[in-house]
Amino acid sequence: MLKVENLTKTFSGASGDVTALKDINMHIKKGEFASIIGKSGSGKSTLLSMLGALDVPTSGSIEVDGVDIAKLSANKQTAYRSKKIGFVFQQYNLIPNLTALENVMLALEFGGVPARKRKARAAQLLEDVGIEADEQMRKPSRLSGGQQQRVSIARALANKPSIIFADEPTGNLDSETGKKIFDLLHRLSRTEKTTIIAVTHDMDIAGKTDRTFKLRDGKITA
Amino acid sequence: MNVVTRGVKNALRSPLRSGAIILMLAISIGLILSMLVARSSVNAKIDEVKSSAGTNITITPAGVMGFAGGGDPLTSTQLATIKSTTHIESVTSTLSDQLGTDDTSLTSSLELGSFGQRMMRFEGSDSSSNSSTEDMADMPAPTPRTTITGTTDPNSVSTDGSDLNITSGTTIDGTSSDLIALVGSDLATKNSLEVGDTFTAYDKKITVTGIFSTGNKFQDSGLIMPLATLQTITEQEGSVTSAVAKVDSSENVDSTVTALETALGDDADIVSDAKQAESSVSSLSSIASLALAGVIGATIAGAAIILLAMIMIVRERRREIGVIKAIGGTNRKVITQFMTEALTLTVIGSIVGLALGVLVSGPMTNSLVSSQSSSTSTASTVTPGEGGGPGAMIRGGFDKIGSNFTQVTSSLTPEIFASAIGITLLIAIAGSAVPAWFIARVRPAEVLRSE
Repeated sequence: MLKVENLTKTFSGASGDVTALKDINMHIKKGEFASIIGKSGSGKSTLLSMLGALDVPTSGSIEVDGVDIAKLSANKQTAYRSKKIGFVFQQYNLIPNLTALENVMLALEFGGVPARKRKARAAQLLEDVGIEADEQMRKPSRLSGGQQQRVSIARALANKPSIIFADEPTGNLDSETGKKIFDLLHRLSRTEKTTIIAVTHDMDIAGKTDRTFKLRDGKITA
Repeated sequence: MNVVTRGVKNALRSPLRSGAIILMLAISIGLILSMLVARSSVNAKIDEVKSSAGTNITITPAGVMGFAGGGDPLTSTQLATIKSTTHIESVTSTLSDQLGTDDTSLTSSLELGSFGQRMMRFEGSDSSSNSSTEDMADMPAPTPRTTITGTTDPNSVSTDGSDLNITSGTTIDGTSSDLIALVGSDLATKNSLEVGDTFTAYDKKITVTGIFSTGNKFQDSGLIMPLATLQTITEQEGSVTSAVAKVDSSENVDSTVTALETALGDDADIVSDAKQAESSVSSLSSIASLALAGVIGATIAGAAIILLAMIMIVRERRREIGVIKAIGGTNRKVITQFMTEALTLTVIGSIVGLALGVLVSGPMTNSLVSSQSSSTSTASTVTPGEGGGPGAMIRGGFDKIGSNFTQVTSSLTPEIFASAIGITLLIAIAGSAVPAWFIARVRPAEVLRSE
C-alpha cells in the first residue's frame, strides 16, 4: 500500500548540505497503525512531510497504491493531499476564525464534495469523533485541546483518506486526553481500514501500534 | 462557506485593524474622487471661458498704452488694411485725446492728487529738462485734463462689457460727424451740464445729447464723441489710437491675428481676446494639473496602504496558508481568498471614501478656485494710465472672466464616479498582486517544520 524505497532528503544551507533522511525503506500495509519514533532532529517530521507530499525527496521513491507521489506534478500532489491522505498536527492547526463545523467543511470543499452535502457530512464526522452539536458551532479558541484535536481528526477523515499522517497527535494533551485520542485513531484504523502513520515521542503509544519504525540521524534503525 | 465568503469574513476578522485600513483607504479614495471632480469642474470652466472669450482682436499703435508711451496713431490706410483682412466682420475704431484748460470751457472733475501730478510732471517743460524735485517745485502747478474718446461705437467705452449706461438723454451715433457728445456723470455734475446744454472744445460748440455712468470715476469724468467729429476738431483726419476687429468665428482668430501681424508689421501691437482668456485661465490650468497629481498621488497611497496591509496579513497568517495547502487547498483558492479579502477592505473603504468625496468635493473645488481667483484678480488690476476706450473693453472682459472663476461648481458626473471606482479596483488589484506572489511561495511543509 505504502512503499518507500531509498528515500533521501538533503537540505542545502549556508554551512553546506545537511542530509536529513538517508536511504529510508519502509513497507506499510493497508489498515496498519504504524508509529515513527526518534529523538528531536532525527528526521521524523521531514519523513512525514515527504510521505504527505508536502515536500519532495532528493532521491528515492514513495509509492502509494502503486503511484510514485514524488514524481507527481504540483497540482496532482495537491489532489493527493486533498483526497488520498489526511493530516493530524500536534498543534491542531485549525483555522481560527472558522467554527469546528466550518473547519471540517473546508476539507470537504478541497476534496470536491458538493456544497449541499458538506454540512451534513461534517456534522456526522464531528459527532463520530465526539464533538456535540453545540460544540460544532464554536471556534477553536472556545474548544479544549482534546476537542480541537478531535476536530482535527474529523477534518483529516473528511474525504475518506487511505492514509492519515499524525505528527505528535498527543504531544500537546494531558495523558488521559492523549490516551482517548490514541484510542480514537486506533479504532479508526480498525473500523475504517485507514492506514495511520503517527510520529511520536511517547513510547507507550508507540508500543501499542502495529509496527514501530525507529529513526536515528536520518536512518531507520529498527 | 465558499472561498469568497471566507475572504469576506476574514476581512473583518480583526475589527480594529480592518477599521484602521478602511479609514486610511477611505481618506485616499475620498481624495481621489475630490480631485477628479475638481479637475473635471476646472477643465469645464476653462473650456467655457475660452469659448466665451469672444472673437475680438485689439490693434493699437506700437508702443502706445492709453495715454502713455509714444509712436504714431494708426492711419486710415492701416485701418483700411484691417477692414479688408479676411474673416474680419466689423471694426470699432477709437481715438483718445485729452482737453487742457485752454482747449475747453469745461472744468475737469478729476483731482490730480500726488499720483496725477507725478504723471504730468513733464508737461510744460522742454525735452532737455530733468524731473528733479527742485525743477518740479519751480514749475506752475499742473491742472487735470478731461479725457475725450472718439469712437464708432459708444458702447465700447462701457467697463463691464455690456451696453453703455445712459442715465439721461440718448446715446450718439458713432458714425456721425455732428458736434455732439455724451458727458460722464461726474463731469456733468462738476459743470452743471444737462442734456441739450453746450460747451466748447477746440473752439467748437458741442451739444450734450446724453449723460452716461459707468461706475468708474475716471470714465465718468470724460467725454464720448463720434470718431469723425473728434478727428475733425483735433485735426487728426483718419487717425485712430485703437481698433477692435471682430472675427467671423473663433476658429479663424489665430489665422486672422497672423494675417494682421504680417500686414501691419512692427507698426501695431495685436492682441486677441482668446489669447487674453488663455493667459487669464492659466491659474485654473495649474489647478487642473494639481488635481491630476492629487489623483495619481492618492491612487499610489491607496495601493500602498492595501499592499502593505495585505503583506502584513499574509506574513501573519503564513502558517494558516501552509495548513490550507497541506489539507488540499490549491494556490488559486488561497490567492482568491486573500484577494477577496483585499477587495472587501477596498470596497468598504471605497463606499466610505466615495461618500466622503461627495461631501468634500464641492467645498474643496470651490475653495481651490476661489483662492486662485483672488490672486488672479489682483494680478489683472488695470493701471489708471490705460485710460478709456479699448482699455475699458478689455477690462470688462477681464471682469467677466474673473467672475466666472468663482462660479466654478463642482460636478459629480457618472463618468467621474465610474473613474473613481475603476481606480479603486486598480488599487485592490495592485495591492493584492504582491501578497498573491508571497502566498504562492508559501510551502505547505513549513507547517511541520515550524513546529
